[in-house]
Amino acid sequence: MKNFILKRLQLLVLLLFGITLLTFALTKALPGDPVYSLVGERSSPEIIEKIRREIGTDKGIFSQYIGYVSLVLHGEMGRSYYTNRKVLDDILIKFPNTLKLAAGAMLIATPFGVFLGLAAALKRGSRFDRIASGLSITALSVPVFWSGLVLMLFFSLKLKILPPSGTGGVEYLLLPAITLSLPAAATLMRITRVTVLDIVKMPFVRTARAKGVSVFRLNAVHIMKNALIPVVTVIGLDFGSYLNGAVLTETIFGWNGIGRYAMEGILKRDYPVIMGCILIGTVSFVIMNLIVDVLYFYMDPRVTPHGTER
Amino acid sequence: MGRKGKASALIISSLFVLSLLATLLLPYDPNEIDLDNLREPPSLEHPFGTDNKGRDILTRVLSGGKISIGVSVAAALISMGIGLIVGLLSGYFGGKLDLFLMALVDLILAFPALLLAIGFSVLLPPGIYTVMIALSAVGWASFARLVRGSVLSLREISFIEAARSVGCGDVRILLVHILPQCVPLVLVMMGIKLGGYVLTEAALGFLGLGAQPPTATWGSMISANRVFISSAPWMVLPPGIAIAVTALSFNLLGDDLRTHYDSGRN
Repeated sequence: MKNFILKRLQLLVLLLFGITLLTFALTKALPGDPVYSLVGERSSPEIIEKIRREIGTDKGIFSQYIGYVSLVLHGEMGRSYYTNRKVLDDILIKFPNTLKLAAGAMLIATPFGVFLGLAAALKRGSRFDRIASGLSITALSVPVFWSGLVLMLFFSLKLKILPPSGTGGVEYLLLPAITLSLPAAATLMRITRVTVLDIVKMPFVRTARAKGVSVFRLNAVHIMKNALIPVVTVIGLDFGSYLNGAVLTETIFGWNGIGRYAMEGILKRDYPVIMGCILIGTVSFVIMNLIVDVLYFYMDPRVTPHGTER
Repeated sequence: MGRKGKASALIISSLFVLSLLATLLLPYDPNEIDLDNLREPPSLEHPFGTDNKGRDILTRVLSGGKISIGVSVAAALISMGIGLIVGLLSGYFGGKLDLFLMALVDLILAFPALLLAIGFSVLLPPGIYTVMIALSAVGWASFARLVRGSVLSLREISFIEAARSVGCGDVRILLVHILPQCVPLVLVMMGIKLGGYVLTEAALGFLGLGAQPPTATWGSMISANRVFISSAPWMVLPPGIAIAVTALSFNLLGDDLRTHYDSGRN
């Protein structure tokens, strides 16, 4: 197990090198120069040249890349072209916010999604199943930037019980977390339902029922335990993607997180910010996947660390 | 196709036709500013009210549908085309080409789709073609993965071997024998994915990366009017409902296609 984790972390280092190199090459190969968006296209050539030297885009791609890697190895990520703030400092402020939002959304989504999915599958074809399935596909079809606004209209502007936007404690977290949890709960509901439908057909369920296992134990232990793998995978994947940025939710609610940071970086071609967000995104995505893989090992005795290696 | 699928297809196509005919059916121009009727609440003259520049919301929602539905469907078709080509080549020829193409696919799928689409769309001047390109640049990957998988299994089936033994070349085998087998699969996939395209198109519009003002798209209407959500909710609710209804219809259609495809195979 320890070897497995170590091996995956080694792979992560390689992956980070590859991804930074690729992003670097892409940002340089593509049209658009950050200098123009900094000073405007009509500035004198001297000013443009001076800025280029300052931010280091006058050197060749390769030496820029080496420079960046050595920066990262020294625990730095450079400074934003626009605010001149250290990217690492910004990320250290914003990442915990994003983590809070992602965790909040998952805490809301998981019980709802899993319970609804289980109940719908056990009562397949019933009115409850039809309503729950209908709700989940609707939740997947409503854009979050709109459901967020509607929630804000209702809870903040009409009832005035929650603040409409900003970053802060639970009262600020509640609306964005609920907004983000809607599609997550819907996905979880659908995946739980499908998985449970497959499991109830299996012979061990019939055996358990025949030997007189109580309905609760049958559902909670025999069925849910076997449905865990796909459910945990979806939770992990969704969580990982929220850590990479719930751009729309963060934008609507003015939540000071990584998603908005990354988007602003992309829109302004603020390369150090983009690179920083990609690094942190890759790390969190890989670690999330690693956690999920380790969990498999505990959830399903058939999975060995060796067997989960890909 | 089941009842659900037929109803969904009907809703989408009537929405699209209505959006094409919007300016003929309604007396207003979607972009004409009318300073005498700013922020009018819904009335008989303006069933959904007017916006901050006095433009009729119903007219704008309908004419925005042209772009939102058109761009999403076009992008899905382009993604399907690229995905088919890449998947066929990758699955059929294998080797280093396969390794390279699938690494690219994995890379694209590893990034959050919306951020990647934002990244692609800032490279070009904002507009509907940029949105189309950004959506397809992200979207082709899952099609390619799917097609590759199905080519891998088809390649081993005896009729392909038979075709080869009677002297068919690679091109003929790919186009005549393998491609038609993949078509139903990718069509189902497209049905499943279209709802997501509609949502991403709306999100890019919301972020200001789509068609530029005054042209109405559902996403841009929501972002332009969201400051008035408290005083004039009718400006924000209809475009959101339009997105939701369209995405929902596409999702139901996709579900229906998948159910029939699966039951047809078993």
